[in-house]
Amino acid sequence: MKAPEPRARSAPFDAVVVGAGPAGASAALCMAQRGASVLLLERGATAGSKSMFGGMLPYCPAAERLVPGFWDEAPWERHVVRRSLSLIGEGTSTTMSFEADSFDSPPYAGVTVFRPLFDRWLAEQACKAGATLLTGVVARELLKDQADRVVGVVVDGPQGQIRAPVVIACDGVLSFLAEQAGLRRAFNTSQMALGVKALFHVGEREINRRFDLVRRQGTTWEFLGVTEGVRGGGFLYTQLETVSAGLVLHLDSLQSRGLAPYEILERFLARPLVAGLLRGARLVEYSAHLLPEGGVQMVPRLSRAGLMIAGDAAALCYTNGLIQEGMNLAMTSGLLAGETALEALGTNDTGGDSLASYDDRLKESFVLRDMATYGRAPEMMRNERLYSVYPTLVGQILQRMYASDGNPRPSVRAIARQELKGQGSLPRLARDLWEGVRAI
Amino acid sequence: MITDILFNLVSYRIDEEPHIRVDQAKCASCANRACTFACPARCYEWNQGRGQLDFAHEACLECGTCLLVCEAGAVTWHYPRGGCGVRYRLT
Ligand SMILES: Cc1cc2nc3c(=O)[nH]c(=O)nc-3n(C[C@H](O)[C@H](O)[C@H](O)COP(=O)(O)OP(=O)(O)OC[C@H]3O[C@@H](n4cnc5c(N)ncnc54)[C@H](O)[C@@H]3O)c2cc1C
Ligand code: SF4
Ligand code: SF4
Repeated sequence: MKAPEPRARSAPFDAVVVGAGPAGASAALCMAQRGASVLLLERGATAGSKSMFGGMLPYCPAAERLVPGFWDEAPWERHVVRRSLSLIGEGTSTTMSFEADSFDSPPYAGVTVFRPLFDRWLAEQACKAGATLLTGVVARELLKDQADRVVGVVVDGPQGQIRAPVVIACDGVLSFLAEQAGLRRAFNTSQMALGVKALFHVGEREINRRFDLVRRQGTTWEFLGVTEGVRGGGFLYTQLETVSAGLVLHLDSLQSRGLAPYEILERFLARPLVAGLLRGARLVEYSAHLLPEGGVQMVPRLSRAGLMIAGDAAALCYTNGLIQEGMNLAMTSGLLAGETALEALGTNDTGGDSLASYDDRLKESFVLRDMATYGRAPEMMRNERLYSVYPTLVGQILQRMYASDGNPRPSVRAIARQELKGQGSLPRLARDLWEGVRAI
Repeated sequence: MITDILFNLVSYRIDEEPHIRVDQAKCASCANRACTFACPARCYEWNQGRGQLDFAHEACLECGTCLLVCEAGAVTWHYPRGGCGVRYRLT
């Protein structure tokens, strides 16, 4: 792709990118690398200072395209070699762990990161490539011309109006800019989840000992059945010296249950399994953030004249129960938005439908393809039984299989049948199972 | 509780000007007062004695939960001034 022609400078920048998260920094980096003049706006005092996530960055091809040698350069904490899932029932816990030899050598399948450090680093790469980063600046509004085409943004402070032929809104899950543009639909609590997280200093050696890791190996650990009737789950992620412990809670479910997220979190931390891993650890930070959970159905149109939206602002984030994808999709969509902008600038046309090819690029990429593949997952994840009935059921079946009470043992099948009966209808279980299989 | 020691755990640059405003008139008749339990920083508290909602913006983590869970539309929500508000160090 060729660099944009030097244009008559009616605007000081070829593009304004709002939000220096992974989506925005990737868009700015991509454009700056090819000679475009890009302004990257961030409302935080530094890029990353408003960022919070679980955290694992899965293997991300876009990252390598943007920064050759990405995995050697980027500030990450541990490479993930084990992924565990625990089903916590009444008085039982059932844990499955998956390890693959290939997870232990580069290219890593996933690494844990601290977002304030990672996001700042990525924004620095954009600056090194020539982008201008302005921090501590909130973009409040989109500037539009009479033809309703987006021609810039309005910011607080002395800069006032900033004009540019292309605006890329990467302003995260709440994206007020995408809403103003008529792209993002109204908020819906059934499509959002709240994440809360406590960060504990445990120490490198203790983490390795307690989680059975060596060197810079790391682990991720999800929990079902710990959210007290609220749809959601718990998580643990290991960083080099610290452990992230948190919850993701469906907002509509939290709202109707009437429970406080920090109270559920504290009781999660007090569970013997978790408390043992965090024994003596020092609480060093607490954080909260929303995430889009509506799946592909929540994804709006992604462009209009003069504007594209990327990352969480476009609801490009999903979970299918086993994996959580967000950063990878943010960086990939940011990169594709940057490429689309370069192409449009090259032809000197950024109005009309000239940016609509961004929607197509995303549809052809793994981003929207994967989201379509897991299109049924949000519906499956709304099944209340997943969070209470089934973790307990699995525990009860296994408990009766492992226990012996001096009486003849029934067959495994008989145990399963009895326990399932206690939980209501078999057809319902069959239906749930079928829905689960279809969803993933 | 975590929310009692928030200012020891989280760094802020506090803006004097609140970035969130609450229309108290709507809270009086609010059925579930979701903001009082759903806010992860416990910025909202129902004051039984005075029959009103107490709100303090200082500990806000800027998550947006209150904006979404308030069905009465009593919450007017903006980002704090540039550079102000929560400042995560690691998370
Ligand atoms: C609890 C939780 C756990 C998660 N776990 C994972 C995980 O393990 N793996 C994973 O890949 N993803 C995970 N995610 C999702 C992931 O964090 C997001 O998908 C990702 O951060 C999206 O990147 P983004 O650049 O689109 O948005 P953000 O990272 O939100 O960045 C938006 C940026 O824009 C800035 N901004 C917003 N509005 C303005 C404005 N008006 N003016 C100027 N600046 C503005 C913000 O300050 C911010 O820096 C998780 C999310 C949560 C909440
Ligand atoms: S939920 Fe809304 S209306 Fe109800 S108390 Fe809270 S702010 Fe007031
Ligand atoms: S934005 Fe989040 S932290 Fe801030 S007051 Fe609202 S719910 Fe509480």
